[in-house]
Amino acid sequence: MVKEMLTGNSAAAWGARLSEVDYIPAFPITPQTEIIEVISQWINDGEMNAKFTNMDSEHSMITAAGTAAATGARVFSATSSQGLLYGYEMLYNVTGWRVPLVLVNVSRGLSAPITLEPDHNDVLSARDSGFIQIHAETCQEILDTILMAYRIAEDERVLLPVLINMDGFYLSFTREPVEVPGKDEVSKFLPEYNPKHAFFKASNPMSQGVAVLGGSAYSYFKYQMHLASLNVLTVHDEVAGEFKRIFGRSYSAIEAFKIDDAEYVIIMSNSFTIKGKAAVNKFREKGLKAGLLRLRLIRPFPSNELKTLLKGKKAVAVIDQNISPGSGGILSKDVTTALYHEPDRPEVILSFIGGLGGKDISHAEFNHIVEEMEKSIETGIVPETQLLYTKNDLDQINNLLNIAGKTLEELRN
Amino acid sequence: MKNSTNEMIKRVRFHGRGGQGMKTASRIVGTASFLEGFFVQDCPLYGAERRGAPMVAFTRLSKEPILERGLIVSPDINIIADETLLGDKNANVFQGIWEGTVTIVNTHYPASHVRNVHGIVGEIVTLDVTEIALNVIGESVLSSTAAAVVCKLTGVISESSLEKAVTRELSSINLKKETIQKNVQAALICFDRIPEAHPHYFEPIKEDKKDEIVKLEYADACLGSPSVYAKGSTKLKKTGNWRLFRPVIDHEKCSRCYTCFVYCPHSCISIDGDGYPQIDYDNCKGCLTCFYECPKKVISKDREVKAW
Repeated sequence: MVKEMLTGNSAAAWGARLSEVDYIPAFPITPQTEIIEVISQWINDGEMNAKFTNMDSEHSMITAAGTAAATGARVFSATSSQGLLYGYEMLYNVTGWRVPLVLVNVSRGLSAPITLEPDHNDVLSARDSGFIQIHAETCQEILDTILMAYRIAEDERVLLPVLINMDGFYLSFTREPVEVPGKDEVSKFLPEYNPKHAFFKASNPMSQGVAVLGGSAYSYFKYQMHLASLNVLTVHDEVAGEFKRIFGRSYSAIEAFKIDDAEYVIIMSNSFTIKGKAAVNKFREKGLKAGLLRLRLIRPFPSNELKTLLKGKKAVAVIDQNISPGSGGILSKDVTTALYHEPDRPEVILSFIGGLGGKDISHAEFNHIVEEMEKSIETGIVPETQLLYTKNDLDQINNLLNIAGKTLEELRN
Repeated sequence: MKNSTNEMIKRVRFHGRGGQGMKTASRIVGTASFLEGFFVQDCPLYGAERRGAPMVAFTRLSKEPILERGLIVSPDINIIADETLLGDKNANVFQGIWEGTVTIVNTHYPASHVRNVHGIVGEIVTLDVTEIALNVIGESVLSSTAAAVVCKLTGVISESSLEKAVTRELSSINLKKETIQKNVQAALICFDRIPEAHPHYFEPIKEDKKDEIVKLEYADACLGSPSVYAKGSTKLKKTGNWRLFRPVIDHEKCSRCYTCFVYCPHSCISIDGDGYPQIDYDNCKGCLTCFYECPKKVISKDREVKAW
């Protein structure tokens, strides 16, 4: 095992390399490009034995990934933001085919306005597609999760593709020390993929992904995907246990940070969680019993684990780094739904939206969250979804509006 | 003098222009710190990638796991590798500097001059790293030289880790052995030129700036949508101060072949009434395409040293 400085993108490339994938259909997009650059360089240099094809679009890329996986190949691909949306139609096809490929999404806010920094509207747009979704916090976790993802996806109880998310810039271009496991260890953990249900053999022809007319057939196959996804709740924990045994690092569906005696719990996902952890530490120094949960497994949603972790807590605040206009934060709904029928559920659940387009979440904002939690407990009134936005942010936008010729006087003329 | 040993984390911010090597500089400092056994993070931040545009990069090194990510608002070491950025409001090179910040400016001016002109707090260190890079490497790429200055000022990175880091990082971008050797040499010169590590210890954990949450109200779509009504703003943004070298046409010898006019990628060369090419120095970025393309070799390059 070697430790080296790797970006999230390089860590993803290492994940694909160590998983000994057969095929990588690719299409570049900032901030994902480095993943496929690294892989294509390795293949060119003979360090990695796989077929790499640069496609004409993400739509073709995901189609190629799914069809290749349907022949029994182990497939890896990566995209981001607009690219994921461009291939969107094929996400539902690939899951319907029940082929276990791994797709990495490097989060980037969706246009318009066009931007480069992350939030999770891109990856969460695929939340109902049937892809398993795992969101990573560190560069190490990206590499490790890819290895785990093939085990989960290829498990006979699952056979669904996995979408792994990392934040653009905050992980994709950020280097940190990453342990790159040795080939031998990985082969102990991840056996070869030998599918029984979808493969290519001339002597044994089959049709895959056939059309169905009539709702009973359609309902049957769709619900099978749901059941397969739910199986991941069990399979993930088994795979995580095996991973820990071999590599020593442990991952759970939900990461709990200082949760045991916590009364006030912040729920986050992805790389910004580190900011939440720092905030929790600061609150603890001041004597406030704060804790944090990081949602790692997003689909299937680990409702039972969440219920257990939040039993008897005073207040919960969900920070959604996404926005569903006209509704609010996406994950806060999943959290609230999971807790509704629990007799010992937290007294209040608050919903916040923060970090859109990579906007920082400052300690002032975390302070506000805790104040709002305390206020809600006191008054019993839970506020509507709030945007985490500060006076500094407003000053910045006012400055930009001025530059754009949007002073009130000019608009009146 | 070494830094206090109980200092937990150092935050370094690099300011430069696309193509100057600041991303690589942040990586060299990152790798050198990694080799010294620190927890490390390094990352660049740029918008639409283009040569010459202001960019920033960051390195954090710490004895403890790093509970931070992304941009560094308040740096302990702040290096400005391109002095023309000092006057660029949008580049915001002095953002969040405080009494404990060591600001490094790549300039031939002394530190006192920088302080007089810009009135910045904290310690100021100046070194003309461009000069060193030009003399030793033969190019104005500042990755290893800027990294060397930063490594020295952290007070916790040794010469040998710097040397290894320069070699490792420049090998990873496939530079020739000879170029890497020159970079190592230039880096070691810079490392030596900085007399000693920053002697003071400042408690790096600062109280957060008071900020308050505001509630956004619905705004008319004129305000609430990403459109720009101001006209002609592109003209206001001069790019002439990006130049490291000024191309100068010797009109006595110019044959009026127009090659420079055709090749200038920024349309900064026009033809005057007598048919001679004239350079728009307000906007010429100093890419020197004209210098290289001139078939008669009558365009020279003069180093711009007093950009501000």
